[in-house]
Amino acid sequence: MESSEEDGGVPLSRMAEWRDVTPLRQDDGPNPVVPITYKEEFRETMDYFRAIYKADERSPRALRLTRRAIHLNPGNYTVWHFRRLVLEALNTDLDEELDFIQRIANSNSKNYQLWHHRRWVIERLGSNARSKELHLIKSILSLDAKNYHAWSHRQWVLQALGGWEDELDYCRQLLEQDIFNNSAWNQRYFVVTRSPFLGGLPAMRASEVRYSVEAIVVNPNNECPWRYLRGLYKDDIESLVNDREILSICLKPSQELRDAVVALWTSDTRPLDADLATAICDILEHVDSLRASYWIWRKNKLRIAA
Amino acid sequence: MATRDPLDFDVGVEVDEEGTPSPSSISPPSSPLSYLDRDRHVAFFEMLYDLMPYHYQSQEINRLTLAFFTISGLHLLQALDRVDKDRVANWVLSFQALPRSRAELKNGQFYGFHGSRTSQFHPDENGVSVHNAGHLASTYCALAILKTVGFNLLTIDKESILISMRNLQQPDGSFMPVHVGAETDLRFVYCAAAICFMLEDWSGMDREKAKDYILNCQSYDGGFGLMPGLESHGGGTYCAVASLRLMGYIEDDLLSKNATSFIVNVPLLLDWCMQRQAIDGGFQGRANKYSDTCYAFWVGAVLKILGGYKLIDKIALRRFLLSCQSEFGGFSKYPRELPDLYHSYYGFTAFSLLEEPGLNPLCAELGMIDLAALGIL
Repeated sequence: MESSEEDGGVPLSRMAEWRDVTPLRQDDGPNPVVPITYKEEFRETMDYFRAIYKADERSPRALRLTRRAIHLNPGNYTVWHFRRLVLEALNTDLDEELDFIQRIANSNSKNYQLWHHRRWVIERLGSNARSKELHLIKSILSLDAKNYHAWSHRQWVLQALGGWEDELDYCRQLLEQDIFNNSAWNQRYFVVTRSPFLGGLPAMRASEVRYSVEAIVVNPNNECPWRYLRGLYKDDIESLVNDREILSICLKPSQELRDAVVALWTSDTRPLDADLATAICDILEHVDSLRASYWIWRKNKLRIAA
Repeated sequence: MATRDPLDFDVGVEVDEEGTPSPSSISPPSSPLSYLDRDRHVAFFEMLYDLMPYHYQSQEINRLTLAFFTISGLHLLQALDRVDKDRVANWVLSFQALPRSRAELKNGQFYGFHGSRTSQFHPDENGVSVHNAGHLASTYCALAILKTVGFNLLTIDKESILISMRNLQQPDGSFMPVHVGAETDLRFVYCAAAICFMLEDWSGMDREKAKDYILNCQSYDGGFGLMPGLESHGGGTYCAVASLRLMGYIEDDLLSKNATSFIVNVPLLLDWCMQRQAIDGGFQGRANKYSDTCYAFWVGAVLKILGGYKLIDKIALRRFLLSCQSEFGGFSKYPRELPDLYHSYYGFTAFSLLEEPGLNPLCAELGMIDLAALGIL
């Protein structure tokens, strides 16, 4: 991507438009630490930006300059801030601004300033922008279904502008594509607990338990649905423990579990501990050896509590 | 490289067009060393301290952060003698946004530290400081650097920082990093808490409100997202737990205490943290994502604070970290990629948590040297 596509890469010092402006050099002061070897184009653009920013010139050419600076340095929050001031002063078409942000997002989809700027624009456009925005976020998630910024922005849009109706189904689609996508599981929880159309967690619990159990059966080694299941019973462990579906999935032994139990029985000289929880810790110590110390610690905690 | 605060966690990074060359263009990697190549890391960081290559220009707005990584990194490597402490202190102090009078402290601006010279301007002829871009993260870095080089923080104008910092706290307890407006999330709650902690003065924030915000960020799976409702994340979890510890809401070494009720769900948090160590020995930032060097610190530090670091598989972790050690010095995010300053710093902090010989001890909740342990405080 050209950093100054509209200008064709011409240095600002050679453009007639900027003749009246004296670029303001960065004052690095004596003995700077971690000095950076700026490239010429970068240095020059920022020198002109400093001049315009200091003079507080909120003009069309200032707007173009911020665009140039953002292409070179999308992380500079001062430039984004000034761009917002200029947009307001010029009463610019904000739908066009969305297009601009979209182009920058193509190679900077994980940049905090960009997403904050997008939110600022959407706040001004209001609920008319909602469905287009949700659609845009979907397209970004289609490139990276775990983009944290995109999910954060999506949750904000839903809470500020609505659009919950199709969200649970969207989660279902994403999980069909990748049942291991923890972001999609998290979004599912978000929708189930906060959507004004679903009745909240108690109303949704039974169907969500069924959904999670199905996912577990297909991939028992997937951490997500197990955590999700536990989350469905957040403040009500009693009900978790008494849920028949959950009991069946926990006590359904996999081949790996059976092997581990057999190995313990045959290799260990001491009898298998009658207490189930302690026995499970013993098994996990062997099959999840990366966390052996943790399972030993858990087992000791059980003994203290007993 | 995307712009980085120290807390721009790897929610993702993209290499820019003029960034570092792609891994496929470098020569085939030799097998990893079996030890921490301290001398090479010192040389690498010394080079960066003297001059940063143009690849870092896109991070220039956070120059103080780059300085923090470099200087604190050298300190971790027991090579602080490479740094001219007085020069650094003077340079850092020059970034402070100073008010003309006490009255200005209520004008809504934040009189902390700028992150860089790029938009720091001298006051005009009336002495008015226009375009104050004081930033919470830069302020945290500034104070951390000053502490590192042994500067007495009691001599700075802390009142301006603390009084004006309150302008940044939101009704829900979170913090905005700059007064002109920006995203608010746990990163800046952490910065605020660390600033108050280092200045030994909690008048800069409403701790109760901040605590409430943090608690709202705990996810159903025990970890913490960066904002309420967001997916649990290694960096978010660090900010949450470290902040609670700094603010005094959780005790040291919680897990060895037999208390049954905590303000956060500790057993679930512990289980979540433990599950973040993947089969390759490294730590992932979120469930079902790749292991990444920096999470050995973000998640490891949480475990350290809770008193559970002893429970991880240290041998497996060390093996993973060594596979991310670069022959050029520093660490990369993933094995066999090129190193960057951020992952290098957190690679060192991860090794410090592992108590690697030749490294200074770490203060987990501040993300820098444990000065008390060094006998400096």
